Order: sequence, then structure tokens, then C-alpha cells
Amino acid sequence: MELLTLLVILLLSLGAGLAVQWWPMRRQPLPSYPQRAPFLGGGLPDTHAWSRYHVRYYPMTLLLIAFEMEMMFMYPWAVVYVEKGMMAVMEMGMFLAILSVGIVYAWREGVFHWQ
Amino acid sequence: MIWRELILPVIVVLAALGIGAYVVAVLDRLIAGTLGMPQTGSAWQAPLARGAWLLTQTANATEAPDWRAWRLAPALYLALAATGLAVVPWSETLVATDLATSVVLWGSVEALATVVIFLHGWSANALFALIGAYRYVALGLSYILVSMFVLIGVALPAESLQFTQVVVSQAELWNVIRQPLGLPLLLIVGLGMTFWGPLNLADSADLAGGTASEVSGPPRLVWDLARAAMLVAFSGVAASAFLGGWLGPWLPGPLWLVLKMLAVLAMLLLLGRLLPRLPPERCVILMWVVLLPLAFVDLVWAGAAAL
Repeated sequence: MELLTLLVILLLSLGAGLAVQWWPMRRQPLPSYPQRAPFLGGGLPDTHAWSRYHVRYYPMTLLLIAFEMEMMFMYPWAVVYVEKGMMAVMEMGMFLAILSVGIVYAWREGVFHWQ
Repeated sequence: MIWRELILPVIVVLAALGIGAYVVAVLDRLIAGTLGMPQTGSAWQAPLARGAWLLTQTANATEAPDWRAWRLAPALYLALAATGLAVVPWSETLVATDLATSVVLWGSVEALATVVIFLHGWSANALFALIGAYRYVALGLSYILVSMFVLIGVALPAESLQFTQVVVSQAELWNVIRQPLGLPLLLIVGLGMTFWGPLNLADSADLAGGTASEVSGPPRLVWDLARAAMLVAFSGVAASAFLGGWLGPWLPGPLWLVLKMLAVLAMLLLLGRLLPRLPPERCVILMWVVLLPLAFVDLVWAGAAAL
């Protein structure tokens, strides 16, 4: 029943979001092509914006993946934490300590400054 | 049965989302007025007037956008906000989605918000929108860890990933006192999720509006509405995780939650008006080098208090 309620809320809000866009715009003609040029501070585009682009913060996203994997262990860990006591503290403490070395290393390598 | 478990929660969540978004717009204008910023018209009517204006405005388009993704992104962001508010418990029994893993569900809403905001900037096929989207991804991937550590912190004393259990565990003492670092860190995450005020990297003025720079008319209305709705959903989660949710004397539970949500919203909007906007790379350093270690400290603090 909980998931059904969630699905109904999801579909109603998604439908409302689409309907508010579709209903007033169903009779609107598209603007003329000169008006549809993307804003470039005065310039006109000669290529698509979707060209190859070097994302400079790319190494930071790799660092994130290490932590995201760790989150997967952390959710079940949080539930049994009080029950397991000090053992849980030590386990997660060691794991986080190793990952923190990764942050310090990435910082030293200048991963977070990307310009 | 159907009324109590399906229809009533759906009405409550959707009404809270709609009214909440209006309240966000009004509060933001009232706060701006109190701080002496120039304003035209009444704070109560201006959001409605702007909404009606956007609804009737002719929407502009770019030359070759990804049409389906462009129309879907604002609606999806609104749907994510509704999903987020669905896990917030209004009282012991009035919860739309009382899953045993509702904290994880909220975490997935935060992660998917990054995808949807990127989609909004990408699908316009315009340079400024795309830069806004790439900037936002840098921010989104940085704040998500802070948010998850802070939310794991509130799950420790509750011994559960269920928001109702998290609220029940605060019967003696609210988490805002038990884990003093948690709420300030989570508020920063909230500003990031809705790219509001100091963390407005996606739709900032230096990019002529960023991901929304090419969006006008009804799609812009949905996008602005979804942003405000996400702020409402976030305030519900923050109030449940740190301010004791429905708990409180004299008044009924849902009313307490509404009051606490309003307090969180006022705090966020005030911060949004007072703090200057950060450059993206400084934002990332701040998140990884300062806020993430602080989130570790918060987790250790929460763990020591829970044992």
C-alpha cells in the first residue's frame, strides 16, 4: 500500500508538471528561427552546444565513486550499530580512515582545483 | 482503509507541495523586503501574478533542443520533490510512504535531482545552459556525501532507516541538540539541492540564468515551482530528522511539523538572501575539505551519543 501511494503521488505530480506545460502551449506556434538562436551574449552559434567537452573535475567524480560504494555498506551498518557497539565503531572507523587518506591525497594532487 | 492509507496521504502531500511552494515565494519576498531590498507590488500577490504571467506567456525555444528531455526535466524535478515529501511523517499514523528504508529513498531523490538538473541544462542545446548543468554536477556530487553522512547520523540512535522511527527516537531530546553539527550541514545541502542563494551554480545570473536561461513561459513556471517544491520537501525532511517532526506538546502533530518546516524554510531563505554566491571550484574544495570532515565528526559525535 505504501508503494502504491508513492506511485500515485509520483504519477500525479509528473502528470501535473507535464500538463501545465502542454495545455497552455498546445496552440502556440513555435517562434521564428532568428528568435530561436541560443543566447550567447551577442554572438551567434555555429555549432551545437553538445560538442566534446573536457570536464575538468572528472578525477573528483572518481573519488566520489569510492565513497558511494562505502555508503552501500553504511546503510545496513547504521541499523545494527547500537546492537554491535564498539565492534561496529572500529570497523567503520578503519574503513573511513582509509578513504580519508584518499581525500587528502586527492587534495594534494589538486583534484578539487580544476581551472 | 483506502481513504486513510491512499487518498488522504496523497491529498496531504500534493496540497502541502502546492501551498508550500506559494509560501516559499511569499516568505522569500517578505524576507527581501525586511532586508530593505527594492520590491514592487504586494508580497502576497506578486508570486501569483508572476505565475499567471508565465502561464500565458509565449514560450521561447532554441534551434535544436532535445524536446522530450527539455519538457520532461521540470516535471521530473517536481515529481522528485513530491517523492521526497511523501516519506515525511505528518503524525504517527499519517505517512504517505512509511518504508523501512525511507532514508535511503530520500538519498536516491537527492542523487536523481542531480541527474534531472543536468538534463534540464543539457537538453536546451545552448552553451550557457550546458555550463550551468556541468557546474551543478560538480556541486551535486560534492554535497551528496555530506548529506548522506548526516542522515546516517540520525539513523544511528533510531536503529532504523525509517523516518517515523527517526522521529520517535527524538522523544526525549531532539537531534538538533544531540548532534549539533548535523542541522547546519544539512541546511547547506538543502541550499545545494535547490541551487538556492549562495549555492546557485546552475541558474546563476553570471550565466544569464544558467540551465533556465532559454526557458520561458509554462516550462519556466513548472521549473520555478519545482524548485520551491523541492525546498518544501527538504524542509520536511530536515524537520523530521533534526527538529522532532510531529513531536510537541498541546498542538496536534501535523501542525507541529508545519511550524517546524516553516522555521527551516525561513532559515534557508534568510541564508539565501544574506550569503554571497560562491564560485564553483571553491564550492567543491569547501565541500570535500571542510564540510565532509565535519560530517565525519558529526557521525562520530552521533555514534558516541548513541552508544
